[in-house]
Amino acid sequence: MTTAPVEIREPEIFEDTTSDRPWMVIVWNDPVNLMTYVVYVFQKLFGYSRAKATKLMRQVHEEGRAVVADGSREKCEADVARLHAHGLWATMEHDA
Amino acid sequence: MSLAPQELDVLRGLPDELRAVFDAPAEDAGARRLFPPAYLDPEEDEAEEMWEAMVHPDLLRQRLDALELVIGALARATPNKEWREIALTPDEVQAWLGVFNDTRLVLGTRLGVTEDEPDIDPEGPDAGAYNVYFWLTHLQGELIDALLG
Repeated sequence: MTTAPVEIREPEIFEDTTSDRPWMVIVWNDPVNLMTYVVYVFQKLFGYSRAKATKLMRQVHEEGRAVVADGSREKCEADVARLHAHGLWATMEHDA
Repeated sequence: MSLAPQELDVLRGLPDELRAVFDAPAEDAGARRLFPPAYLDPEEDEAEEMWEAMVHPDLLRQRLDALELVIGALARATPNKEWREIALTPDEVQAWLGVFNDTRLVLGTRLGVTEDEPDIDPEGPDAGAYNVYFWLTHLQGELIDALLG
């Protein structure tokens, strides 16, 4: 083990303003997934009530997309993966 | 679940059809529908690449496990008069739901299904695929109704 002084270079600090902005998980309308199935998946994956899951499903169906969850990049990436595992068409983007 | 013997035969063919889609190149429309991107923003292509490398093997594993559960349940089908009966465990119900849905996603993508009533030529080349699609829609709907109560 050396006792010689070691030069420690301070890491460069830069402001990453994008990483702190929350992310949103979007589910998009598609013509194949059954409305009842989409309600079931929202309840199963996010623990939403039947009423909330139904409201989100309606929004997907009528407006073409709905925000179904939000949070950190890591959380949203995991949510998107779980939605894909259930065949829903989901993506993630920054909160506007 | 009660199925006619012919229905059982069609279900037994689904795992191989889905495996072919899993093995298809990433640009195959069916494969893209089962494994879509997480990010739409092209500036996130690096994050997308990392996400796919992390998630896709796991998604594939889950889908292959579901196929095995379906195959195992189909092997237990017991005759009851003209029907074949299978009692599904909760895990198997989830697997069947997933396999029905994945098959419908692939067929629906290939057929170009929209929310409008399709104009199907009963003699056309897609008639068989439409039959399977609508039959699976019916079976999946019954499973979901039972789950939602």
